[in-house]
Amino acid sequence: MIHCRNVTKKFRDFTALDDVSFEVPAGISALIGPNGAGKSTLLKILTGLISPDTGEVRIGGLDISSQSIEIRRIIGVVPEDLGLFDSLTIREHLEMTGPIYGLTKPQTRERMNDLLLMLGLDHARDTFLNQCSYGMRKKTALAMAILHAPRVLFLDEPFEGLDPVVSKTVQNLLLDAAKQGATIFLVSHTLSIVEQIAKEIMLIRGGRIVWTSSQDDGRRPLEDLYFELVESQHLEPLRWLHLRQS
Amino acid sequence: MVALAAVLKALTQAVKRDLATLRSIGLNNFFFFGVLLVYSSLAGGRRPLAAIPFLVLIGLVMLLPMSSDPLGKIPASRFSLWPLTGRQRLLLRIASLGLNPVFWLALPLLALLVREPVSAFLLLATIAGSQCISSVSARSLRLSPRMNPLLYLPSLPGRFGGMVRHNLRQIVSVLDFYVALVLSVGASAYRWLSPQPEPRAFLALSMVVALSLSTYTQCFFGLDSGGFSRYRLMPLRGWQILLTKDTAYFLVLLVLVLPIGPGPGLTFGLVSVVLGRYPALAVRTRQYRWRFTSGDGRFGISQMIAGAALGVAEYEFGAWVLAAVVCVYVAALYIAGRYWDEAI
Repeated sequence: MIHCRNVTKKFRDFTALDDVSFEVPAGISALIGPNGAGKSTLLKILTGLISPDTGEVRIGGLDISSQSIEIRRIIGVVPEDLGLFDSLTIREHLEMTGPIYGLTKPQTRERMNDLLLMLGLDHARDTFLNQCSYGMRKKTALAMAILHAPRVLFLDEPFEGLDPVVSKTVQNLLLDAAKQGATIFLVSHTLSIVEQIAKEIMLIRGGRIVWTSSQDDGRRPLEDLYFELVESQHLEPLRWLHLRQS
Repeated sequence: MVALAAVLKALTQAVKRDLATLRSIGLNNFFFFGVLLVYSSLAGGRRPLAAIPFLVLIGLVMLLPMSSDPLGKIPASRFSLWPLTGRQRLLLRIASLGLNPVFWLALPLLALLVREPVSAFLLLATIAGSQCISSVSARSLRLSPRMNPLLYLPSLPGRFGGMVRHNLRQIVSVLDFYVALVLSVGASAYRWLSPQPEPRAFLALSMVVALSLSTYTQCFFGLDSGGFSRYRLMPLRGWQILLTKDTAYFLVLLVLVLPIGPGPGLTFGLVSVVLGRYPALAVRTRQYRWRFTSGDGRFGISQMIAGAALGVAEYEFGAWVLAAVVCVYVAALYIAGRYWDEAI
């Protein structure tokens, strides 16, 4: 469903992505890696927010450089900056999104009510986004991504800022969508959740894919693998951090 | 005292930064217009009396955002968590008064007006009124977000109605709109209340209303910040996105110039949108709510000259000038839409 071939992206002298190639089938796939590894850059290229310097990206058989509008119709995205407007309420974001994707007013209203209830946003539906907590903003972006039932979902850190109940709800929702044939590509630091729900896992470091679950027969915990392949923990204690006895 | 000094130092820094955003007026077309009036009067050897009402209007409109409580810049949760005593909090409240720019403005003015008690009283009443409006509205919105009047701005029908509403809200959250509103209300009052209104005055007034909104056309995306990526994820062509911005702008402009003289005002507005398109798309200068918008002086001056010339032409030669400008606008929208699709 997602084809990415020989993608390279440089920002001046810094190579954010270096000849990245992979294919993502239907189901849930996850991309993990440390900060600055190139995860969000890759997600921006896959969603057409930035162009690669070289390489080819196809989503659902459509070429991202020449068929970007067609691709935007079939994808739902939670971008890194969430892409929300401060001057609209949560409800108004969804009311605006539905018609843009061809939903009728009753369809939009019905789906909006379902999503607001499911994500625990119903009580805050008339709150302006600049008055919302980070978790509420994240849930709004999630609801906007899902509203038009896209074939492909791109989610940047979908579980960050969510309470455990909503996080579980979103996991179930994604698993259900994957069962229905949707393709879900998520970027996350929450290794425990990724391990539970993702069928395919890719690990990126320094702009290169350094490990994929499909090429690894071992059954090691993801966390161990992550620390081995990506970075080791900083174990030096802070000498000044000792609580005063009062 | 060390804790108080630290808080006051941070607060001073925050107020300084906040005041720096007020400098946006320096690159606003309405300010250019005021400066032009002053210059032309002085060059003609006259006192710049014609400019005074416009400069006073700018000052009065700026008074509202300047009246905000400096202590409000500290997040309430952070303020209540700091280990400060009640006495320290009271001292901070008193000291913060000195950080209020309105307080600095009021002191020298009151000193000047010490022998004119009526004027001094009016000044004090204006300052106190703006302080009250500012703090009561901020408090009410914090306690009850449903009191926000923007919430009741209805959505327009159609596929892009929600987007137009969003753009309408952005327009009414910059000070340019309030200058245009005051001018429009004043001009309408003159039309309906004056026994013999001068017909040519409406040509000038209509264009001044359009001029006061013209800088906004250079920064259509200046208030979107994080939301800008959302536009790029929508399955829409560039011209469709731009049209939602333009529709909101023309709706506001039409309402404001309709009672005065829609032809010259709309012509000015169309010219402003065409000439403001490049900075709006390519530069995208960040703007701040409750401030005047700031643009690029070169584009601003060309907007003023071309807008005024074609506005007068519309008044003198009729609606075909407006029709020709609409054609140019449509062509410019097409070109800008292509630019969006290919380069943004």
